[in-house]
Amino acid sequence: MQGLRAPPDDLSVLERQEACLLNWQQQGQEQSNYNPRGSGYCRQMQTSFQALPSGCGGEKNVNHGDVHGSIDCFSDGWPDLANIRYPVHGAANVEETSITNVSSNSSRKRKADKSPRSKQKENGGGGKGDSGCKRIKEETGGGATSETGQPNKKEAASGDASKKNDKPPKTDCIHVRARRGQATDSHSLAERVRRERISQRMKYLQDLVPGCSKITGKAGMLDEIINYVQSLQRQVEFLSMKLATASPLMDINIDSIFGREINPSCKSGSTAMIGMSSELLDQSYLRFDTLQHPHPCSGLDTFMDSSDLVLRPNVNPPVAVPDASFGSSFDVILRLNMSMGVLFGVQTCKACMAWISSKEEGQPSPSNHWKVKALILYQEHYDASDDNKRSGSVLPNNLKMEM
Amino acid sequence: MQATKSFERAFLKHLLRGFRLSAVSYKSMSLQERKSAIKLSADVAMASARGSRKWTRGLITKLSKEDDHRSFLRLILGTEYERLTKPCHGSWKIPRSKKIVRRSLRVCSRRKNNLRAPHGVKSSVLARTLVEKRTHALKRLVPGGESLDGYSLLDEALDYVISLRAQVDLMQKLLTTFEASKLSALSKCTLPERKASFVGEAGIHQQKLTEKAQLRPKLTL
Repeated sequence: MQGLRAPPDDLSVLERQEACLLNWQQQGQEQSNYNPRGSGYCRQMQTSFQALPSGCGGEKNVNHGDVHGSIDCFSDGWPDLANIRYPVHGAANVEETSITNVSSNSSRKRKADKSPRSKQKENGGGGKGDSGCKRIKEETGGGATSETGQPNKKEAASGDASKKNDKPPKTDCIHVRARRGQATDSHSLAERVRRERISQRMKYLQDLVPGCSKITGKAGMLDEIINYVQSLQRQVEFLSMKLATASPLMDINIDSIFGREINPSCKSGSTAMIGMSSELLDQSYLRFDTLQHPHPCSGLDTFMDSSDLVLRPNVNPPVAVPDASFGSSFDVILRLNMSMGVLFGVQTCKACMAWISSKEEGQPSPSNHWKVKALILYQEHYDASDDNKRSGSVLPNNLKMEM
Repeated sequence: MQATKSFERAFLKHLLRGFRLSAVSYKSMSLQERKSAIKLSADVAMASARGSRKWTRGLITKLSKEDDHRSFLRLILGTEYERLTKPCHGSWKIPRSKKIVRRSLRVCSRRKNNLRAPHGVKSSVLARTLVEKRTHALKRLVPGGESLDGYSLLDEALDYVISLRAQVDLMQKLLTTFEASKLSALSKCTLPERKASFVGEAGIHQQKLTEKAQLRPKLTL
């Protein structure tokens, strides 16, 4: 396909469609031998596409996408050409079918665009001189996929009435193409665009909501979406209830101590700070069952074992977390731990610190200064609360040993 | 479609800050109050982590309808609070009388039905009513969705679902971490007992959550 120029960078859709075209053509060449029905069309298409000038090559539109979509669906490489009803005459016309409008210029619809969204494909139109070509409005907000919602049967073969129009003015308008066999007044075009956008959104939602691949109707999909949202909201309520029961009464002294500590650091590198706590949680579940290092301290051993048992069944599908960030996450873990301690008591802090320290051993610790800081803080903290004095002194000693 | 890492980070940060802020009076709270405080923190955290979208604005506006929540929100969000509650251009909700609106909708739909299906095609009318009913239900579910039309409603619903899912995941992880560490601190139990209790509890907990997830409630319109 020498005729097609390289698509501009921002037109990913165009690239894709260009690839489609290439594939299509290649497939056509392969299959033209044993697809008698399609062969005539194949040759036509090939000649036409080779004759396609660079300009028009840029004008990818939904039609190609649709045809390619149909090719994807079927194993046969050239199945739907018959449906498409490309005209038999001339290369120019064959090309035109995919590009020009059904009817004449009167059906051209130009909407004043709100934003300069429509790609400047008009430049391409000059080559073959069909400026009247329309482009399907492309979704930039949604992710710039062209609409393939329409069934392939309806896809345009304008063919007979192909006209060569003059260059389209380079405007910011959205150009919409009317398809063959469809009404071309402005209302129905607008509505068709709106419908296509909605169907695209429905497709996204279908991917999102689990178990919706078989449902095709709008009403059914909406039903599933509503159910899913309701169930998610109920889950949030349930989880908040669980969190409320899981948190013991906290100590106000702790709050005051850690409040001072956390507030100033909230501003500095807050993203790095409590930041990677999500990664922390991920990592904790990842690494827990890979933890092999035997710990000298018995108390920590018990914690590790028990948490091992707890968390192994809950390991989520592994998240790709780079090991390099592991070291820095401990800082985060520490702070998260402290803030958690506010709410959930000292025991949590202690246990988490133990876990941190034991896992830290397996990693080259970039800096120990934070550890010292942590120990100091913990010392303060444990001094402040009476009942933890005994257990508190045990823990820092252990940690110091590891250092 | 996944929520981004930055969203998760911001969510956790705000969540913990919210916990800390509301935790002052924890001792005197009942379970229900604590639960609602946690839920409030979680919702605010989700909305502030997402940024400025129609549903976040709607959510925060809804939450700040009560006075005692407003100060809480202000503390957490800081300057963003003012920005988020300022009504944006596209979503002015004009106060309308419900009776009048309902009457006009009925008239309009009747007129539309007469125009579009003069030959008495019942199925399309039925389909359209179903879709409309469900759209209304979705509007009620998605915060701030009352004033949105079909396409933007779907857009906001998409975003809302992603954020909700991330919220649920993060809260679940938080919960399991807390439970694990809390149970490990039970020094009284012997080791095998503790292990058993761990597994049991975690199993039950996980089971409950999956049951919740698989629950498919009947659609109430």
